[in-house]
Amino acid sequence: MTDTVQAGRRKFFDLARPSRQHLLGYILIAPAVLMVAAIIVWPLILAIDLSFQQVKIPRLGGASRPFSISNYTWLFSSQEFWLACWVTLKLVVIVTAGSVAVGLSTALLANNRFRGRTVARLGMALPWAVPEIIAVVIFAWMFDTSFGLFGWLAIQLGFADQMIPWVSSSTAAFWAVAITMVWKGFPFVSIMCLAGLQSIPSDYYAAAKVDGASVWQRFRWITMPLLMPVLGVTLVLTLLWVFRDFSIIKVLTGGGPLRSTQTLSIMTYDQAFQYHNFGRAAAVGVVTLVICIIASLLMLGRRSKSIY
Amino acid sequence: MTLNVKRLALGAATATLMTMGNLAPAMAETVLKFISWQTDDAGTGEWWHAVIAAFEKQHPGVRIEFTKAERSAYADTMTTLFAANQPPQIVHLASFEFQMFADSGWLEPLDPWLKKDGIDMTGWAGQQKCEWNGETVCIMTNYFGFVMAYNKKILNEASVAVPKTYDEFLAAAKATTKDLNGDGIIDQFGTGHETKGGPGQYLTEMLNYIIDAKAYWTDKDGNITIDTPEMVEGLTRWKTVMKSGVSPVDMSASDVRKLFADGKMAMRLDGPWLYGTTEKGTAKSDIVYTVPPFTPPLGGSSNVLAMPADIPDDQKALVWDFIKLTMTPEFQRSYATMGGNTPPSPKADVSGVEKTIPHFPVLIQTMKEAAAAGIDRVPTGLELYYNEFSKMVMEETQRMIIQDLDPAAVAKTMQAKAEAIKG
Repeated sequence: MTDTVQAGRRKFFDLARPSRQHLLGYILIAPAVLMVAAIIVWPLILAIDLSFQQVKIPRLGGASRPFSISNYTWLFSSQEFWLACWVTLKLVVIVTAGSVAVGLSTALLANNRFRGRTVARLGMALPWAVPEIIAVVIFAWMFDTSFGLFGWLAIQLGFADQMIPWVSSSTAAFWAVAITMVWKGFPFVSIMCLAGLQSIPSDYYAAAKVDGASVWQRFRWITMPLLMPVLGVTLVLTLLWVFRDFSIIKVLTGGGPLRSTQTLSIMTYDQAFQYHNFGRAAAVGVVTLVICIIASLLMLGRRSKSIY
Repeated sequence: MTLNVKRLALGAATATLMTMGNLAPAMAETVLKFISWQTDDAGTGEWWHAVIAAFEKQHPGVRIEFTKAERSAYADTMTTLFAANQPPQIVHLASFEFQMFADSGWLEPLDPWLKKDGIDMTGWAGQQKCEWNGETVCIMTNYFGFVMAYNKKILNEASVAVPKTYDEFLAAAKATTKDLNGDGIIDQFGTGHETKGGPGQYLTEMLNYIIDAKAYWTDKDGNITIDTPEMVEGLTRWKTVMKSGVSPVDMSASDVRKLFADGKMAMRLDGPWLYGTTEKGTAKSDIVYTVPPFTPPLGGSSNVLAMPADIPDDQKALVWDFIKLTMTPEFQRSYATMGGNTPPSPKADVSGVEKTIPHFPVLIQTMKEAAAAGIDRVPTGLELYYNEFSKMVMEETQRMIIQDLDPAAVAKTMQAKAEAIKG
């Protein structure tokens, strides 16, 4: 009887059996899932819970405040929030478009055979390899209003007769942030596109040439459609990066002047650590998350319709 | 199977014993965590290390773990530590940020400790700022007065006398702002203000002019007093200075100090900490310290020591011993001799400090004048909202400069917004 029971148990836990192989998969992935749940899902639940409480500074293990939607009421009636949404939208569109334009161009260039291609590819990837905070500090120096390189160049080239106040002019500050983000973000697009370009069979191009297709026609009807799956994912990842990026704006402009570079990320930080309104900060964070999810779904939906 | 279990149990027991053996000496040592932004500040950092060494000598078996957190991320770090129930035992905070911690009930009231040791805080500079809801929640570590440092070579070359009033200061700044090599870029500035270090620092820089115009953000009862002719005059002065190009813009404090220390700036209004930078600068021999051309000089509380309310009693006793040690006449004196700071204790013996820090009497004079005038950077009644208030003032002032707005209209806007923040 005991032998029968043990044999039954052995059969159940026999992970080599084809019908049990999915169990092995679950067991192997369980630690990673638990880890992700611990470091992402749990804080996310805490943040959502916090966003429905009127709390200044929360304390771990402290008593919860009563349920309230006042943080969201404040948020949607706040000019600051809508301005931050507008700035974030502008930055997302400009930086994503800029990164894709520069990244795709450099990838097309680096995909050709020419002398020094390896060095060119290395140079293309270099901004990606530089730690973000170091890159931003360097850009902060180059954008310095009193002694910066860009101001000096503008004077030398005759574009300006005095130094440009990059950080104390709303328009200039926005463009300073956008340029820095494009510089930091385009290598990722480049690397992804280059990998995509190298996976396109050369036979397609050879056949198109035989049919008399021009360079533009080959790009429009072969390269772009076959690159779309890669480009779609890259676009979503770049968009999410721009949405959540904090350090570039914080170091360069701090969100100013006059909140012209205050994105939703900066607003979240300010509410939490500057004004000690953690409930409001959590509400901004939750709304940002919802916007990111909707944007990602829309982008991925469009991508699937764009390929052959 | 049984043998394997026995081996496993034996192994586990051995490992446990070895671990316990290693832990034993560590458990005998009490560790007090002390986080500060001043760990490696020239002078002040050395003073903290000296206090820690003396404390550890007095308390065998107790060690202070002295860790640095950058000033720019300091409030974030401390907020996170308190929120996570992991505050350092020795709490070091800036005088404009302790209020939020006190208001959350996280700081131990120190009145019983002061009473137990019979410590009289009368005359302790800036100590009244440590009162929160009628209780003493911290000990003021530093109260300072601003001084003016000037480069005598630059002033002499421009044939300008050391300014004594705002008008003379502005004229001197204009006369010494120059494009030395004719490339269209200003190489030498008349003065310098930090405008990139955050709203609190921005307000501090502005306050030099506002206080001289006899204006302030609130009165002693905490009522907002921005929409006044005096404040309009103060804002006008700040706008004039920033728009006339006599100061570099968008610079951090360390960059401004370095420019001055290296002879690229004629005058700088700053606290006692400027000395550490000028001593390392290339223009060291040309720099002279004097009283600012503004009356009264800007001054204020700088940083405080406190202890968390919910640490064990034995740790509280140790932390109090540490705080008391910093308040002793010996360490109040060395706060001046080592740190170059003005000690808040009225009993501090600072005689002879001028032999190592020649301008020390000027520091003492401006500290006393600022304290007598009741000057502080944190406005009464807005302590809890200081970050929000300072950001609002900074933004409205930036708007005034960028959009060339009338200071009178800006003062009205600030008044309304400040009242809304206060609620």
